[in-house]
Amino acid sequence: MGQTLILGLMTGGIYGLFALGIALVYRGSRTFNFAQGEIGTMGLFIAFGLVERVGLPWLVGALVAILAAALVGFVFERLVVRVMIDASRVAVAVGSVGLLMLLLAVEFKIVTVSARSLRAPIGGVGKEILGVVVSPTHMLSIGVAALVAVGLALMLKKTDFGLGVLAAAQDPVAVRLVGVPLARVSGFVWAMGAALSALAALLVEPTVGVFAPGYASELFLKGLAAAVVGGLTSLPGAFVGGLVVGVTEAGVSRVFASAAFPGIKSLTVLGLILCVLLFRPGGLLSGLVAKGESAS
Amino acid sequence: MKRLPAPRMLLLALAFGAIPPLVGRAGLLTDYSAILVGGAVCYAVAGLSLNLLMGYAGQISLGHFALLGVGAFASGIFSGADRMGLPFVVSIAGAAAVGAAIAFVIGLPALRLRGLYLAVVTIALSYAAEQSLFRASFISGGSSGMQLPRPILGSFVFTRNADFLAVLLLLLLLVWQFDVNITRSKLGRAFHAVRTDEAVAASFGVDVTRYKLLAFVVSGAFAGIAGAMYGHLYQFVNSESFGYHKSLLLVIVVVLGGLRSRAGVVAAAGFFSLLPVGLIKVFGTGFRGTDLIVGALLLMYTVARYPGGMAEAMRQGKERQAVKAAKRAAVAQGEAGDEQPVVPKLPQMPRPSGLPARPAEMAGMPLLSATDICVSFGGLKALDRASLDVHRGRIVGLIGPNGAGKTTMFNAISGLLRPDSGSVHLLGEDVSGLPAHVRARAGVGRTFQLIGLAKDLSVTENLLLAQHVVAGYGVVSALTRIGKAAKVERELRDRAAEALEALGFERFAGTPVKNLSHGQQRIVELGCAMVTAPELLMLDEPSAGMAPGAAENLAVRLRDIRDELGRTVLLIEHNIPLVLDVCDELYVLSSGEMLAHGAPDEVVRREDVIGAYLGEAVAI
Amino acid sequence: MTAQVGLGTRGSEGDSQPESESCVSRSGKVLLEVENVVTGFGSNTVLHGPSLSVREGETVGVFGLNGAGKSVLMKVIAGVLPLWSGRLAFDGADITRVPAEERVARGMGHVPQGRQVFPGLTVEENLRLGAYTLRRHDKGRYPAALAAVYERFPVLAQKRNQLGGSLSGGQQASLAVARALINQPRLLLVDEASAGLAPVAVRELFHTLRQVVATGVTILMVEQNVSFGLQLVEKVNILQMGRIAYSGDVNTLDQEALVAHLGIGRMLGKGVAGTLAGRNVPPGAPESGKGGKAPKRAAPGSRGGANKRKGAAQG
Repeated sequence: MGQTLILGLMTGGIYGLFALGIALVYRGSRTFNFAQGEIGTMGLFIAFGLVERVGLPWLVGALVAILAAALVGFVFERLVVRVMIDASRVAVAVGSVGLLMLLLAVEFKIVTVSARSLRAPIGGVGKEILGVVVSPTHMLSIGVAALVAVGLALMLKKTDFGLGVLAAAQDPVAVRLVGVPLARVSGFVWAMGAALSALAALLVEPTVGVFAPGYASELFLKGLAAAVVGGLTSLPGAFVGGLVVGVTEAGVSRVFASAAFPGIKSLTVLGLILCVLLFRPGGLLSGLVAKGESAS
Repeated sequence: MKRLPAPRMLLLALAFGAIPPLVGRAGLLTDYSAILVGGAVCYAVAGLSLNLLMGYAGQISLGHFALLGVGAFASGIFSGADRMGLPFVVSIAGAAAVGAAIAFVIGLPALRLRGLYLAVVTIALSYAAEQSLFRASFISGGSSGMQLPRPILGSFVFTRNADFLAVLLLLLLLVWQFDVNITRSKLGRAFHAVRTDEAVAASFGVDVTRYKLLAFVVSGAFAGIAGAMYGHLYQFVNSESFGYHKSLLLVIVVVLGGLRSRAGVVAAAGFFSLLPVGLIKVFGTGFRGTDLIVGALLLMYTVARYPGGMAEAMRQGKERQAVKAAKRAAVAQGEAGDEQPVVPKLPQMPRPSGLPARPAEMAGMPLLSATDICVSFGGLKALDRASLDVHRGRIVGLIGPNGAGKTTMFNAISGLLRPDSGSVHLLGEDVSGLPAHVRARAGVGRTFQLIGLAKDLSVTENLLLAQHVVAGYGVVSALTRIGKAAKVERELRDRAAEALEALGFERFAGTPVKNLSHGQQRIVELGCAMVTAPELLMLDEPSAGMAPGAAENLAVRLRDIRDELGRTVLLIEHNIPLVLDVCDELYVLSSGEMLAHGAPDEVVRREDVIGAYLGEAVAI
Repeated sequence: MTAQVGLGTRGSEGDSQPESESCVSRSGKVLLEVENVVTGFGSNTVLHGPSLSVREGETVGVFGLNGAGKSVLMKVIAGVLPLWSGRLAFDGADITRVPAEERVARGMGHVPQGRQVFPGLTVEENLRLGAYTLRRHDKGRYPAALAAVYERFPVLAQKRNQLGGSLSGGQQASLAVARALINQPRLLLVDEASAGLAPVAVRELFHTLRQVVATGVTILMVEQNVSFGLQLVEKVNILQMGRIAYSGDVNTLDQEALVAHLGIGRMLGKGVAGTLAGRNVPPGAPESGKGGKAPKRAAPGSRGGANKRKGAAQG
């Protein structure tokens, strides 16, 4: 039981990071970036190239990857999202599907399908907690995820621009009327969402082992579920949603471990999304959402 | 709306049936090329299926290939030699049925979810299907997959790809024809209305729930057929064949080809199927995978510039001139003077067959009676025990300052809103629990503040849509054009033509409503409200946007409706002079409460009424 | 017990120059120029070319029934709605194509329709955002500006850490005004601030706005509640179906004209005004030229011009 919990929390933290990026973009533009996961995979390939091929240290590779991801997000916002300021939110989402296809296509072309593996940032033997071996990378992942989440929250609340980002989600017209440049808020949000995705992919990869084109998109779906569970606009809710998804997934895997039916995890994710959207569209925690953040 | 008349269809069918086998046997079409083209044809059917759901009905689906997979596996199970071993035709039909059934199940949550949320659910569904359902051995045969046989006609087996290509082309033609029939029937118009504005659709008597589900069902059937076609073409499918990435590419095809354009979608499907091969042939193997890059870039560009897709963009090119001209006219008017089209005599339509006979004169009883309606939004009381009665043959006005709750009252009466308490009686019957489209059928015509029409449809199509309640034929008849559909459609068109003539708008018959000026749209809207000869006309600010001259003319028309046609009118208005000119009695609503009721001249002079309009004076 | 329009006075000091707390002077220079604006939605033309101007230090009102186009006009001036033709100028510079955020940076402040405070941010955070431009130019001035706002709005000071969404309607209205003022704007645009407020809150808002007027800030206000607005403004524009039906000093507007131009009594013409005029005039109605306290709620005061006309009608 405890094992499942620990396992679930570890993966959940990563989902939480993805979810943060998703919720952020949703708050900023009221839509989803369906390419957000794949941007993370792209980051992985970049890091791989720099670390495994060129021989740069992990940190450098990771940093470049994250910056590249942010750039992709920013450019996409500038060229596509901003132009579609009056278009439907679904149309913007469809546009992001185009970005997804582009990234996949480029990856297939340049790197072919074979799987890669990126070495872990920290070596060493793990500690044992409640019967589960927690590697240093695991601990790093959780630590970084929590740190980033907190840092983001602080930045949003304490800086003027950050406040503008929060306000823009609550009322995009009024925020212009106080003089906050909505366009810049939008650019920031998309760049940040992409960067968070790359970070999450980098953190989770060593624990999974190999990656290939399309890899992070699957994680992205779980991040999407996490964001939905958390209420889509609540940032702390998104992170907690990630934990919920992680633990639920681990639990279900354990219970149905020996079942003949494949893909139980993806069914769980689907089930969660459906249940929340149909019965508690404000998020699973909509009654208990943290103060200072209104759900949707 | 392109359609191929019957003889041409037959000719095409013959061509499709005869040419590929001949060309194949002549050596001009290799087995490999035939399978390529066949793949493109299957893809085209898939495109038509998604176009129906996304383009016509406006329901987003980012996981459509899952439905194709369902169709393929179903057909495999039905026709597989080691399974049920049924003939090809039965298998295809079975695949369509299974696709329709699964799509129905997906459609149910779609009733509660909109746009983005639906997109998320469909992508999660297709991912889950790929990861779990399609991996189950008994469904798909797992990674070792299942075999699908080619059809057998007597002793002839369609082993050659070129021969089977003929079958595929015929199936494409069949689905195309179904699609044509849908757009020519009430189904297509209803889908369109549901996509544009559900409230407007309901006011025309369209059961929104039913049509949303129907869109999923028909789209699912087409998707099932497309999947089965794939399966039998490649003769093998497994758990990997219908990945969720393929769904996304299909979305690209449909969006690029143009939402709502059949030909565009088929062309785009063909283009994307053959592009990879074409690129490699021309530029060499270095270009493998470039087709996806091209497609992705094209999609992003198209979506950004033309959210309606490429075909829409081309249509828009022509229309843009018209819209620009209209804008220039408006600007000129703004500076010059009032030049609004005058409201013509509204059509005097006889009551269409198919509707219940007019209820007999009910002595003393009002035609419409809304009693003690209470509506709250959040903590705010929008309507507080508001009541009104409308007697037959009267023109009743509902006025009041901004935010008084007039439109809310209309929505409660017409059924778009369920009040917290209170009742609505229409034509003697208690309709308080009935949905809007049913009340529309009972004989209520309604207009909206922001023009309740399907703006992308032409004037004629709107007039046809307005007759939805009397389009007395079923889905099967609509799809196949067998049975009452053709005859009823002709009748509807005749009525629409009559109405057009009465309005003097024959020259606008084929013009999309959104290209007309505001005043002209208002006239079309009134015509649509009148075309089924409703008992009660509920008009929400009909003179909004009209110049004083046109509004005075409107008054004349409203009096005609009452005096010549013997109908009843309830109107919301801000144009007090019009109201004083035309209404027999007035109700004044202020802050959710009925403030006054009586003869217009008296009511308007009352202190509390004028005070309501001028606002509370503030003590200091 | 009359339904007379509260054609009250502006500022309780009557016609004397209001004391200026800010450095805005009554220079008479034209601050905002709106010329022949034509715009609308889709095929619907809402504004048919109205024009108006606001001079520095003035309080100008725009009134009209619903659908007349008041809000659209405000949105065009604010920059959140594009115009099809026409021109806008602020402080001499053409701002027709300037985006909304930039207009705020140049000195426009907004109290939007429905207040639109940020519900998920605290009062203080709302104010901090309101001072976005100020803080970008000179962060040092912010603490003083904040203190000044808290002094004028003690309720907000009390509730500084409460969420905007948890405030009452009237408090939100105060917050909206404070949020616009903290940036020390040159022109304050008030869009139907009294709409949807309970009578008590309306009174509160009235006092607040009266104080603001007294500081000499230039104001352009759009109001549905004519009685409310007329007691605050000195210049009146009446919008009817997208066109200016009347434009002039509030002194020159009498009830008949008001009711006629709004479009309430057009068909009856003099009939309505005569009816109103035939009602009781409250005792002690002041003569024209002076301000004077408006009497109690039940019988709002009236301006001299109207009295004169009433006299004539009765006589």
